[in-house]
Amino acid sequence: MSATPDDVLTGEANTAAQTSSKAAEAEAEYGHLVKSEYEHGFVTDIESDTLPPGLDESVIATISQRKGEPRWMLDWRLAAYRKWLDMPTPKWAAVHYPPIDYQSISYFSAPKKQELESLDEVDPALLETYEKLGIPIEEQKALAGVAVDAVFDSVSVATTFREKLSEAGVIFCAISEAVQEYPELVQKYLGTVVPPTDNYYTGLNSAVFTDGTFVYVPKNTRCPMELSTYFRINEAKTGQFERTLIVADEGSYVSYLEGCTAPQRDENQLHAAVVELIALENAEIKYSTVQNWYPGDEEGRGGIYNFVTKRGDCRGDNSKISWTQVETGSAITWKYPSCILRGDNSVGEFYSVAVTKGKQQADTGTKMIHLGKNTRSTIVSKGISAQQGIQSYRGLVRIAGKAEGARNHTQCDSLLIGDKCAANTFPYIEVKNPSAQMEHEATTSKISDDQLFYCRSRGLTEEDAVSMIVNGFCKEVFNELPMEFAVEAQKLLSISLEGAVG
Amino acid sequence: MSAQALKSDTPAAPQTPEPGPFDSWLPSVARADEPQWLALARADATERVHTQGAPTSKSEGWRYTGLRALLEQGFTPVDEPLSALLPEDIDDLLVRGLDSHRVVMVNGRFAPQLSDLADLPSGLTINGLRASLAEAPTALADSINAVAGEGAHVFASLNTAGLDDGMVLHAKRGTLAEKPVELLHLSVGMDEPRVAQPRHLISLDDGAQVTLIERFASLGDALYCNNALLEIRLGRDAALKHRRVQLESPSAFHVSGVYLSQAANSRYDGVNVGIGARWARTDVVTRFSGEYADCNLQGLYLAGDQQLLDYHLDVHHGLPHCASRENFKGVVHGKGKAVFDGLVYVAKDAQHTDAEMSNRNLLLSQSAEVDTKPQLEIYADDVKCSHGTTVGQIEPEKLFYLRSRGIPQALARRMLCIGFAGEIIDALGNDALAEYVADAVGNRLEAAPL
Repeated sequence: MSATPDDVLTGEANTAAQTSSKAAEAEAEYGHLVKSEYEHGFVTDIESDTLPPGLDESVIATISQRKGEPRWMLDWRLAAYRKWLDMPTPKWAAVHYPPIDYQSISYFSAPKKQELESLDEVDPALLETYEKLGIPIEEQKALAGVAVDAVFDSVSVATTFREKLSEAGVIFCAISEAVQEYPELVQKYLGTVVPPTDNYYTGLNSAVFTDGTFVYVPKNTRCPMELSTYFRINEAKTGQFERTLIVADEGSYVSYLEGCTAPQRDENQLHAAVVELIALENAEIKYSTVQNWYPGDEEGRGGIYNFVTKRGDCRGDNSKISWTQVETGSAITWKYPSCILRGDNSVGEFYSVAVTKGKQQADTGTKMIHLGKNTRSTIVSKGISAQQGIQSYRGLVRIAGKAEGARNHTQCDSLLIGDKCAANTFPYIEVKNPSAQMEHEATTSKISDDQLFYCRSRGLTEEDAVSMIVNGFCKEVFNELPMEFAVEAQKLLSISLEGAVG
Repeated sequence: MSAQALKSDTPAAPQTPEPGPFDSWLPSVARADEPQWLALARADATERVHTQGAPTSKSEGWRYTGLRALLEQGFTPVDEPLSALLPEDIDDLLVRGLDSHRVVMVNGRFAPQLSDLADLPSGLTINGLRASLAEAPTALADSINAVAGEGAHVFASLNTAGLDDGMVLHAKRGTLAEKPVELLHLSVGMDEPRVAQPRHLISLDDGAQVTLIERFASLGDALYCNNALLEIRLGRDAALKHRRVQLESPSAFHVSGVYLSQAANSRYDGVNVGIGARWARTDVVTRFSGEYADCNLQGLYLAGDQQLLDYHLDVHHGLPHCASRENFKGVVHGKGKAVFDGLVYVAKDAQHTDAEMSNRNLLLSQSAEVDTKPQLEIYADDVKCSHGTTVGQIEPEKLFYLRSRGIPQALARRMLCIGFAGEIIDALGNDALAEYVADAVGNRLEAAPL
């Protein structure tokens, strides 16, 4: 409380020794825990086939050519690129970063060995990478019902369980494959939820996206396993532009897991992904994310810029889209997984835990656009801000005039740990129908001394107590995660926050 | 993210020579009789009006509040004071049973013949702004814009640029005013649409306690615009109860800004009631200059057919131990639209802040609209902050209960609306005023097709 902002700005590892205040004592006590190095920070040495930095139409043509794309795909990219050139960068988010030089980024990077028949052919170094992350592919195979389409930089190098899925008729492949093999599906749905002109980063993504996942679940099919993709950013100076498209046809169900880690780097890396979900009549999509990209060092240097546009369209009646996210990484997170509730009786859900510490900044939230009758949406957002983290919930609930009987409940709670962090709430609520019922609640608090004292008096260490309280704070969201993810998420949260009290 | 807008309130600035959207609002001739400092402040503000221009839907503070209808009117400043009114002309506009020290402004000009400022308690002085300037030309040099500052939105700049008259209220240290001070803005339609821009300076020294009842009313259904600005300074331990009842004519446009500066341990208790006007925008901006100050803002708005009522609250906690509570309720019917935008900002050092915000809305018709934006920006950890918002309709169970007791549908709905509004009406804390407001609310609901 008594440390001045200047201490923080110039603060090196030795601030504790220099400052005599209470905060400094606390820092000395817990500093070693907070400053624990990023666990997953390492670089795998694989030869990469990388385009030189820069972006113009010829780069886009090259990307398209290397991917062996049909003509319509190139035209689509070029149209997006031309529009992107005239678009302004968004400035409204409560995040600060130096301007990005889009010409200094390399837009394509592919591991060289590509023709793989089985996992044995995968570069051992790559497999080791996954092992360090605690997600060996071999074990993933064995793990109950999880198929992994592991994305290493920009090209899928290993896809498993394809056969089993194809038996059920489910298409689960890299989007570049889908462009070639299922062009009619891709053409029908790509860009229909998030048009290229939606915002600056979607424009960029549409022009240069190199990989990502395509999922199609046919009518009345329950996807036999949970689908999962691990993204990794590995090549220095390579922005990743993933494009994910998930289509759940009438009466189908799919659960999709996305988890991310990235190696330690000194330069800010841009990640501008686009995720589109389409749920037709009676279909349900569950999309879960655990995001743990490199957040930068103590001074906030080198972290990932995570500018993502995620949107789901409940196109058919009685459809449901559920977003669950646990965001602990990235230097800057700019992300609003949204639902367009177009079909009657459709349901949208958004469950989020976001943690910012160090100099991380997160501006995240959701949009629930109620268009159909009796549409329902639930928003539960838990923000935890420690050290100098800045966290904003920015959400929109719009109930259109024709959304008879629409229902929304929003709850956003913020937990502040330390006196230099920030938690903001910017809800936008627009209601044009009298039969709508919407409620919004928000609270901001810190871990109370009473709660801590109670736990400590029962012999828990301060870190354990904090971890327990924070996990309790987030429980509502963790309950929504698939089991393996819930465990990972809790572990992440504990690592992120242990000792960040003081 | 198409629904998000730019954070900036100042769109690209048109240069001075180009015609600006508010040119007609500005006084055409300089006043020879005014002190130089005021002429300078006016010139500065005029400059700001030109650079700020009219906010658009891209400006964050105006995204739900369109200015087109306002700008189309081409309002011009009130030039001549309207002195023909006699006290009996305004009898119908008075609050029955309200015993007050009364200040009447007619079309933005202080009207001493209609005012009643006899037997003010010692320590309390009230005067017109023009009269004050004439008596002591430099006395107010440090007061104008001392609280409102120069960074506020374009209507504050316009008010300074077109500054005309107003009320200057000063309560000396320890003054206890038993009777409330009533400030009545009376608007009378002229042959062309006029804008009145009164500026009120209210200053309570340490420990003073005053109740201010501010009312907006009109003679007949007239088209005009009020752009009123209040600068309120509360000294240590001072307490101001501020009641605002906006009952402008149904064709009128209304802009008002309440800018507050609160010293240590001061109390501001404000209740805003908005029923009238075709288009109304109210800003309440609070800044604390001492610890343990308390700001309580309550409000009730009834937005009927084709009406837009917009409330913007901005409470900035820059110091520890201050408390703020905001409780606004709205009933919207017909093609009415209500906007609520509340911001509580808690700065890094403002520990032990206690802030609470609540906004509840009843939507009564298919085409009614509510846009609400309760925001928290918090940079301190040892704080208690919360906000809650609801939008809904009259609960069918309650309606059924009343109907089962033989109460007709329309009356039952009206009763439930009045019950909903009752909390704020009670908060007015003055029986005569509460009755006056309850009648106005009742009349409005009676006229509304429920």
